[in-house]
This record gives sequence, C-alpha cells and structure tokens, in this order.
Amino acid sequence: MALLLFVGTGVMGDEREDQQERRAERHKRKLERYQSNWNKLIPKYQNLQFAGSIGLLSAGIGWDYGKQRQWESEIMFGFVPEFSSNKTKVTFTVKQNYVPWEVSLGKNWVLEPLETGLFMNTVLADDFWVKEPEKYPSSYYKFSTRIRFHVFLGQRIAFDAGKHFPFRRITAYYELSTCDLYLLSKFTNKYVKMGDILSLSFGLKFHIF
Amino acid sequence: MRKKVALFWMIAFLASCDLIEYHPYDVRLSGELHINEKNIPLIEEKCEDKDTIRFVLMGDSQRWYDETEVFVKHMNKRNDVDFVIHGGDVSDFGLTKEFLWVRDIMGKLRIPYVTLLGNHDILGNGMDVFLDVFGDENFSFRAGKNLFLCVNTNALEFDYSHPVPDFSFVYSELQDTVGLTRTIPVMHVPPGDVEFNNNVGRVFHTMLCSFPGMEFCLHAHSHCLRHEEHFDDGIPYIGCSCMKDKNYLLFTLTPEGYEYEVVYY
Repeated sequence: MALLLFVGTGVMGDEREDQQERRAERHKRKLERYQSNWNKLIPKYQNLQFAGSIGLLSAGIGWDYGKQRQWESEIMFGFVPEFSSNKTKVTFTVKQNYVPWEVSLGKNWVLEPLETGLFMNTVLADDFWVKEPEKYPSSYYKFSTRIRFHVFLGQRIAFDAGKHFPFRRITAYYELSTCDLYLLSKFTNKYVKMGDILSLSFGLKFHIF
Repeated sequence: MRKKVALFWMIAFLASCDLIEYHPYDVRLSGELHINEKNIPLIEEKCEDKDTIRFVLMGDSQRWYDETEVFVKHMNKRNDVDFVIHGGDVSDFGLTKEFLWVRDIMGKLRIPYVTLLGNHDILGNGMDVFLDVFGDENFSFRAGKNLFLCVNTNALEFDYSHPVPDFSFVYSELQDTVGLTRTIPVMHVPPGDVEFNNNVGRVFHTMLCSFPGMEFCLHAHSHCLRHEEHFDDGIPYIGCSCMKDKNYLLFTLTPEGYEYEVVYY
C-alpha cells in the first residue's frame, strides 16, 4: 500500500514538473511574441527637415515596411519662428510616403527617382481650431484653421553605410508640396500660379536598421 | 569655417526663394508693408482743397483674385476717382500668402487705397498679417472737409478683452472735429449682422450721429448690395457687394450732398 502510494506521488510529481515546464515554455513563447510585436514599433529611422510648410525645422521618427520597404509612415514635430506674429508655433505632422523604385548608382549610392504621398499638419496653438467654436452660427467658416492636408512629390538619394556604422543608410531628399486651401485658391483663380502654391523642403533620413 | 559660410549662404538663398514656406500661417512677410499709413497722406494731400470728392467702395476680395485684378485694371482706366476703400475681408482663410496676393493686386492701382479689417482677415493669425501689411484695425483720415472714420466691427471674432467696436477710439476722434463738414463712418460688418455686437448697436449708432454731418455709413461683408436704415432715423447703411459680383459703389461728395451709383465692370 505504502509502495503504491509512493509510486503514485512519483507519477504525480513528474506530471507536475512536465506541466510546469510546458507552462514555462508557453510563457517564454508568449513573452518573445510580445517583445517582438512591440519591437516592430521601434522607429526604423529618424529624420530632419527644413521648410515644407510644417515648420522652419522639423524632426521626427518613422517606420518603413513592405517588400521593398516602399512604404514609410512618419511623425514629426516642427517649429515655426514668430516672424511678424506674436508667438512661436509648434506643429505636428503625420506623413505617409510611397517610394516605388530604387536605382542603384554603384558604390553604395542609391537613387530613388520618385517619392510621393500625403501629410497632415496641425498647429498646436489655441488660436487655431479644428471645428469652429460654438459662438459661431453653424457652418460659418466651413473649414479648419488648425489642420491642413498636403500632397507632395519628391526625389531622394541614399547612401548605404554598411553594418558597422551607426546608420544603415542615410537618405537626402527634396519634396514639393501644396495644401488643400492653396489648391482651392488655385483652382478658382488664374491669378494664383503653381509657383505661388508650391512649397519646397529639404531633408535627411537616418535609417537605424 | 568656409563650410559654415557656404552653409549660411545656402540657407540665406533658400530662405529668400519663393518656394520656401515654413507654414501657411507663418506670417513671414516680404515686400511693401503698412499700406494705409503710406496711402492716407496721399489721399489727404490729393483731396485737401477739393470741394467735390469721388471715391470707390469695394470689399470682400476673399479668393476672388481674378475679379479683383479685373477691378484694378478697370479702375486704372478711370481718372475721375480720388481713392478706393477696400471694406475688408482681404483674405478668405487668413493665410499669410492671401494677404500678399491681394496687396500685390491692389498695389497696381494708380490711385491710393485704404483697407479695413474684415472678419475673415482675423482667422488663424491673419490679424497679425493685416496689422503689418495694411495697418490698424481702427483709423481715420480726412479727404477735404470729410472725415472717414474706419472702425473694426467684427465683434464675434473677439471677446471682452478686445473692445469691438472700440468706443474709446470713436470718442477720441470726436474730440477733434474742427473744420469738418461731413463724417462718413466705414466698417466691415453693419449693425444687425450676427458678427456685430448688437447689444451696443444703438449706442454705437448714436455716438456716430454726434459727429458733424453724419448722413450715411458704409460697410462691406454682406456679399450683396445693401441700402438699409437699421435704426429708422433716415441714416442709411450702404453696403457694397463682393468682388465676385464684379461691381463697386462710386460715391460723389459735394458741399450740397452726396450721391452714389453702382458701377459694373
């Protein structure tokens, strides 16, 4: 009887160990998946931009994805000096890029002949509203002073630095953009020329991995 | 060091280039500024000894650049008008460039013009642009023996911290009326409009009536031709239409009285 009992607890002990091992294994897998999911959110590159209707200087982070890394999403904070207004402004931009082709120029240099996309910019200041304040009759102004939608075209040139440099790749770009209200002004007036509504920007992207 | 100098020049070049814009509301101004301050002495000098004065009231050029350009070309063919009053709403969205476009179009006028602040000009930080490009929200000038009292009436855009209409300004103007035979108040928004501070409409009107020879008031904003007595006292508020309608009001002031006609172009 005592022997039976001993064997019985022995089996039970083994089962418990197995179960704990399985549990540990499952937990480890879950943890790895969890970490790798969050790792995907680590920004792939950092960028710095001059002008382009989102600030004098803007800095941000971004993610590239897709089979040829042809898609990029980025966010940026920009700074607009006060000039003749009474305040310095900070803006926030969400940007989506599409870069269909890459042409190798040899010796680690790569040309991206076309880049296009959309971005949305918001002024982080109280004088600008998304929807007109309640004091106005409804649909009084019918637009938002705070949020602008832009479209752009650009070109880029990249340098592949190799594995042992702080940046996998450094990209320089320029873009020509315009925004919703400018397009509206141009479509309804011959006076407004394309050159009046285009905005040029220059930027650098530092790809980390 | 040489690199730094080169970089500086490159940035200076880019910044001077028209394609560089930091933000649609960046208030980065270039070209002629303080237009009212420059044009008022021209108007006053031109009209100093005149008995008969002819001026044009137009307004609401907002996003009708082509029409405003045609207006300027038309005006430049006339030589019987002393000056032009733009009744406000220079811009549609308050964007910095809009003010500069209208300034460049109106700048081709051969006769001097003054511009009032409209409610659309206050959107975003448009007012900062207006103040530098055109001038104060309240101002006055004399054409012969006529006082033109230009008052900001876009009350809905402000709160109590910013008086609209500014009675202190109107009162201070009332302190110096020597030699005046007529006063013409000009505003963007007429009393009765939702944009106007209608709580003080009658007080405002009564104060205007204490000016010498106040027979009528002028305004823009309504986007249609108007001639209405808002206070049933025989004093009309006369409003011009917007530039889309391609017409303006031509006023003739004589010592005997005033008349106006609508001119289509």
